[in-house]
Amino acid sequence: METPGIFWGVISWMIVWAVLGSIITRRSYLKRDLDTSNATFVGAMMGAAAGPVGLVPLWMRTPELTKLLIVLPAIGAVTLIAAAFAFADPSNNCVSNGSFVASQITNGIIIGIIYGFMALGLTLIFSILGVVSFAHGEFYMVGGMLVYYITVVWFPGVSPLIGVLGSCSIAFLVGAVFERMFLTPMYKGKIDRPVEYGILVTFGLAFTIQYFVQALAGANPVKARRFFDFPRLRLPSADDAWLLKTSRGNLTLFDTISISNPRFVAAVVCILVLLSLLYFLHRTWTGKALRAVSLDREAAAIAGINPDRMNMLAFALGGMIAALAGSLLVQAFSWLPQVGNIPAMRSFVIVVLGGLGSLPGAFFGGIIVGLVEAAGTGCIPNPQKAASYIPAYGMVVLTLTLLLRPTGLFGRRFASGTHGKF
Amino acid sequence: MRRQVPYYAGLALIAFLALFPFVYSANDYDYIMHIFIIAFFYAILASSWSMLAGYAGQFSFGHMGFMGIGAYTTALFCHYFYLSPQATNVCTEFQFGDTWLVIVNPIGVTSTTLTQDCLSQALAVWGGAYEVTPMPVWLGIVLGTIMGGVFGLLIGLLVLRLRAAYLALFTLGFAEILRATISAEINITRGQAGIELPKLFQDGITVFGRTFSSTDKIPPYFAMLALLLLCLAILTWLAKSKFGLFVRALREDQDAAAALGVNTTRYKVLVFVITTMMAASAGAVQAHYIGIITPNNLFLLQMSLVVAMAVIGGVENFVAAAIGAIIIEFVLEMLRNSFDIGGITVDMTIWRLVIFGIILMLTLRFTRNGLITPVIEYFTRGHVGGETVAHRAQPADESEAAK
Repeated sequence: METPGIFWGVISWMIVWAVLGSIITRRSYLKRDLDTSNATFVGAMMGAAAGPVGLVPLWMRTPELTKLLIVLPAIGAVTLIAAAFAFADPSNNCVSNGSFVASQITNGIIIGIIYGFMALGLTLIFSILGVVSFAHGEFYMVGGMLVYYITVVWFPGVSPLIGVLGSCSIAFLVGAVFERMFLTPMYKGKIDRPVEYGILVTFGLAFTIQYFVQALAGANPVKARRFFDFPRLRLPSADDAWLLKTSRGNLTLFDTISISNPRFVAAVVCILVLLSLLYFLHRTWTGKALRAVSLDREAAAIAGINPDRMNMLAFALGGMIAALAGSLLVQAFSWLPQVGNIPAMRSFVIVVLGGLGSLPGAFFGGIIVGLVEAAGTGCIPNPQKAASYIPAYGMVVLTLTLLLRPTGLFGRRFASGTHGKF
Repeated sequence: MRRQVPYYAGLALIAFLALFPFVYSANDYDYIMHIFIIAFFYAILASSWSMLAGYAGQFSFGHMGFMGIGAYTTALFCHYFYLSPQATNVCTEFQFGDTWLVIVNPIGVTSTTLTQDCLSQALAVWGGAYEVTPMPVWLGIVLGTIMGGVFGLLIGLLVLRLRAAYLALFTLGFAEILRATISAEINITRGQAGIELPKLFQDGITVFGRTFSSTDKIPPYFAMLALLLLCLAILTWLAKSKFGLFVRALREDQDAAAALGVNTTRYKVLVFVITTMMAASAGAVQAHYIGIITPNNLFLLQMSLVVAMAVIGGVENFVAAAIGAIIIEFVLEMLRNSFDIGGITVDMTIWRLVIFGIILMLTLRFTRNGLITPVIEYFTRGHVGGETVAHRAQPADESEAAK
């Protein structure tokens, strides 16, 4: 960075006004007996984006906090940070190089879709069982590991589709059996504090699975082959392929944006599965029953739905989604028994950002976290440090969310069941 | 009479632990002593974690992170700060009367030798004319403890006003970030290579006319045991006081406790800060005992072990958690040997952890109070039958609705 003074000066100016804005805005809304649920967030963002110019009218007039008023200052704050960065470090790759930026953004969205998909499993489990599954990363790891074992070790040369299906069904079974064996006493009133039990017992499951896999598979990294190669395509013509160009392992759009095969395949499959999941949740009886249980457990039971069975289905389905994400990404990364820790953490960040229990929130949160990570790795001047701090970008997002809007983007209140109790 | 049994047993146990180093004299003396010291270390972590999780109902998976904060604070403090009788003119330094506080400049593991920092240069120039004094170890430990408390306070204020799951989520991430930071800042922390610390009693110590060298096991044994007993005493005092009552009340029903005038967030933050300080002090003492700290021996595996120890011992009783930790540490060490079944080598270093994971889940599922708490309760409850001890109301409406 050439003139870090400008950047850090602007950042500290923004932080000071954001802190002032978040505290005083809440006070001023409270004083007039208005809804304060968004006041902290809007105050902080307004302070960061416009400083006293934006804050004083906000404190004086205390307007109703519409969506526009929530979104605009947030966009302003992000733009201001980007502008300060661009002025402070004009020769940085992500300021001067437009195609690099486009490539980072596209790849951020692509990987964000996969993150969001994985977090979807976690949020599905939470919205129905009221338990945050700490074994989510282990399901992810098991999914990838099983694909490697099925397609490389046990049945070499078998179609990767069978590998993915096999790993998903095994993860589904593991999830279902675990739920039957260890989570059922939670709903029967046999456990005093079900939330804490849920946290501990899934943590124990994570510990067990991780070392079980390590004992069986060893601690050496393994890698599966790419599932399939792209056909060679050049559009519009073979000589001047400015629109689309594919090689076996890569896809290039507009001559600038390069997407690697495994990630592209994973993102496309994630979107397809997501669509079928949405169809399942909204158009089939079982899916509707699942959503009914997540809204109101007792009312659903009165309507003839067995909530216990829905619990089992939700936990198994959530584990299967994580395993699917893992089995799609095993072709992109090398795989270790510890590989699930960081994706699990990222899923926690995403579900809190999107709002615990909100399905669209998980998806948008995933894309936001994907973009933040892409910006972080692309823009921090020292690339080696930028790569080692990848988990930290998510934590910054998590801290900001907890400070400003603990309910997340699409947070909602839960009507009944175990949700209301903690 | 029977009620007193656990107290006498506890006293006997303490007496046994106090006499053990002088009585025992087998070949593996150093090894057994080492396991005891590590077991005490885990006992401090497990008992403070059970105070947080079992008494207050707040689940933190960052306990090992706070341990690491304590250890790294004292490591960096002892590594970078020196007192010198003469200005070096090369380092950053501050004058206090006749002494200079010297701050050594950070050099990473990337330089060709590790001894080219400014202090070594100054010492080479002086040629033995002056000697610098390293910082006292106890000050590093105190600073580490305070630093753990500061981080605990910040995180507690951020997260503890929210529901229980957020603390677990956030602390898990926090521990991971700490590990990533320590690994990435190679210049300062030396990254994965780890940073060396002076021994707990670097110059040896003389007690009752007997001189111990810095590698003797007896002084760190008693230091760690004293720290464990101190932590248990503080925890007991807290649990018996009004504080413990408030904390248990907010575990059972936070809204009811708040309605009765308990400032719930304040007490949650308070108990979080106290337990993180205990973890940090244990980490600092243990790092000085081992002599080196690396980011790898911090986090997730160790955290899982602490959770397993506390739960198997009994998460709602910190004495049981401490005893459980000591026993489990010994069992883990005994299970280290790999063996062969029908030509297949079973690598027990990994399988023992799998076994512990399964025991952890089964303990949670079937005896929530752990395996040691019931033994203690069998005596303290005396002849009173189980059913006269207060039962918590069962949420009957829900299980009815489920059917």
